Amino acid sequence: MKLELGNIIINDIQFTNEGSKVENGVLYVNQEEIKELVLEDSNIDTCEVFIARPGESVRITPVKDVIEPRVKVEGPGGMFPGWIAKVDTVGSGKTNVLKGAAVVTTGKIVGFQEGIIDMSGPGADYTPFSKTYNLVVKMEPVEGLKQHEHEYALRIAGFKVACFLGALGKNLTPDEVETFEFDNLVESARKYPELPRVAYVQMLQSQGLLHDTYVYGVDAKRTLTTIINPLETMDGAIVSGNCVSSCDKNPTYVHQNNRVIRELFKAHGKTLNFMGMIITNENVYLADKERSSNWSAKLAEYLGCDGVIISQEGFGNPDTDLIMNTKKIEAKGIKTVIITDEYAGRDGKSQSLADADASANAVVTGGNANQVIVLPPMETVYGHLHFVDTIAGGSANNIDAHGNITVEIQAITGATNETGFHNLSAR
Amino acid sequence: MVKEIERAGLPVVHVCTVTPISMTVGANRIVPAIAIPHPLGNPALSKEEELHIRRCICETALKALQTEVTEQTIFDVKY
Repeated sequence: MKLELGNIIINDIQFTNEGSKVENGVLYVNQEEIKELVLEDSNIDTCEVFIARPGESVRITPVKDVIEPRVKVEGPGGMFPGWIAKVDTVGSGKTNVLKGAAVVTTGKIVGFQEGIIDMSGPGADYTPFSKTYNLVVKMEPVEGLKQHEHEYALRIAGFKVACFLGALGKNLTPDEVETFEFDNLVESARKYPELPRVAYVQMLQSQGLLHDTYVYGVDAKRTLTTIINPLETMDGAIVSGNCVSSCDKNPTYVHQNNRVIRELFKAHGKTLNFMGMIITNENVYLADKERSSNWSAKLAEYLGCDGVIISQEGFGNPDTDLIMNTKKIEAKGIKTVIITDEYAGRDGKSQSLADADASANAVVTGGNANQVIVLPPMETVYGHLHFVDTIAGGSANNIDAHGNITVEIQAITGATNETGFHNLSAR
Repeated sequence: MVKEIERAGLPVVHVCTVTPISMTVGANRIVPAIAIPHPLGNPALSKEEELHIRRCICETALKALQTEVTEQTIFDVKY
C-alpha cells in the first residue's frame, strides 16, 4: 500500500466576503460558509468563527479537538471514514493536506476538563498548536442537549469544517509530497531479514464520555485489539472523541500526524524493520483490560516482533493497561519501550505511574503533568475563560487580580503528549 | 490509605476495580469491584439486581476481613 501526502503550506488564515479558497499559501475563509455548515445540525444553536495565529495574544479554551484540514485527491475512501466519508479503507492514493492550518473547536464546556491553547507567552511553549494557524470554531448547543449529544455534535462539526477547508486544496499542486509505502507481512519479513522486527502498539483512550476514540466510526471500547495499517491511521482512520486532562490526550490532528509512526517509517529498512501497528483500548472493566492486553501480546507475537514501541493515552488506570501490555509482551520474549507521561506531584517527588513492573525497564516520558505554570492574561480569549478553575489541572480561585492563571500543565492541550507530539524536551 | 491503616494494626479489605494496581501498591485483602466509573453498582442492571451484586460484594468483603492471609489475596465475588 502506498500513500502520498501532498502538503500545501499555509502561512496565514484570513477572512473573506467572497468564497473560501486557498491562494499563495493563504487560507481565505468565508465565515458565513462555516456557520451555515455548522448550523446544519439542529443541536447547535450558535456558531462563531475566529482566527488565532502564532504569536498573537490569544487564548483558546476550553478546547475540544484540533483537526488538520485534508482532502482525498486520488484513491479509495475519504476523510474521517465512518463519520464524514463512508467506511472504505483509507491509506492509499493521494491526500492533500493544508499543512500549517488547523481547526480548533471550542464552546461551552461538555464535561469539566477540556484544555487551553495559548498562542503566545509561556503557555505557547507547552502546546504544539500555538504553532499552527488555527480556525477557531466556537459552538453553543441548544438548551437541554444531553452531554453525549453535545460532545457528538461538536465533534462532527469539527470534522465537517476540516473537510470543507481541506476540499479547498483538492485541485492545488502541493508544495511538497511525502510518500509512504507499507508492504504486507511476508514481503516485509523477506525484505530486511537482518534488521530487528519492530511493531507499534498504540493504546487508545476508551473510558466513556469525553474519553473515547473511534476507528472507522467504531467506538474503540467496543473493539478487540486489532491490527491496522499505519497508513490508514495517517489517512484519518482514527479520530478523537476525548480531551479530558488534555495534556496527554490525542486530538484528531495527532492521530493524523502520529510521530511514532513517522519515526518508524524513517527508520524502516535502515535500523529496523517496521512490521505493523496494533491498536488496543483502555477500558474501565478489569476483564477488558486483561483481554485487550492478552491480544496485544498475541498479535505482537504473531507479527514476529523482536521489539515493540507502546504509546499510552492518558494516565491513572490506563497505567495498568500499559503495564499489562508491557508485562505480557515481554513475557513473549519481545522487548518493549513504553512512551508515557508522569503525574509525579507538583514537586515531582511522587510515584510517576499508578502501576509498575520490573519488565517496564525502557521508558520514554512526555513530562510531569503536575508541573505548575503561570499563564499571563491574553488580550483575547476565544471560548470561555471562566472554566479554567474547574478544568483538570486548574483549582479554585486560580486567577489572580492581574489575570494571571496558575495551572498544572495538564490543562494545556498536548503538553505531555505520549506519542512524541509536543514541545517538551530534556535536551 | 490501605497500607497506613494496616500499619496502625487494623486489617483492611480493599474493594477496587483495577486489582493489579492494588497488588502493586501492596494491599493484602482485595475484593474486585464492577468497573471504574461504578465500582459498587451497575447502571445497566435493575435496582433489584444492583442490590444483589452490592450485597455479594459487601459480604465477600466482610468474609475477607475475617480470613487469615499469608500473602496478598484476591477474594473473587460469587454473584
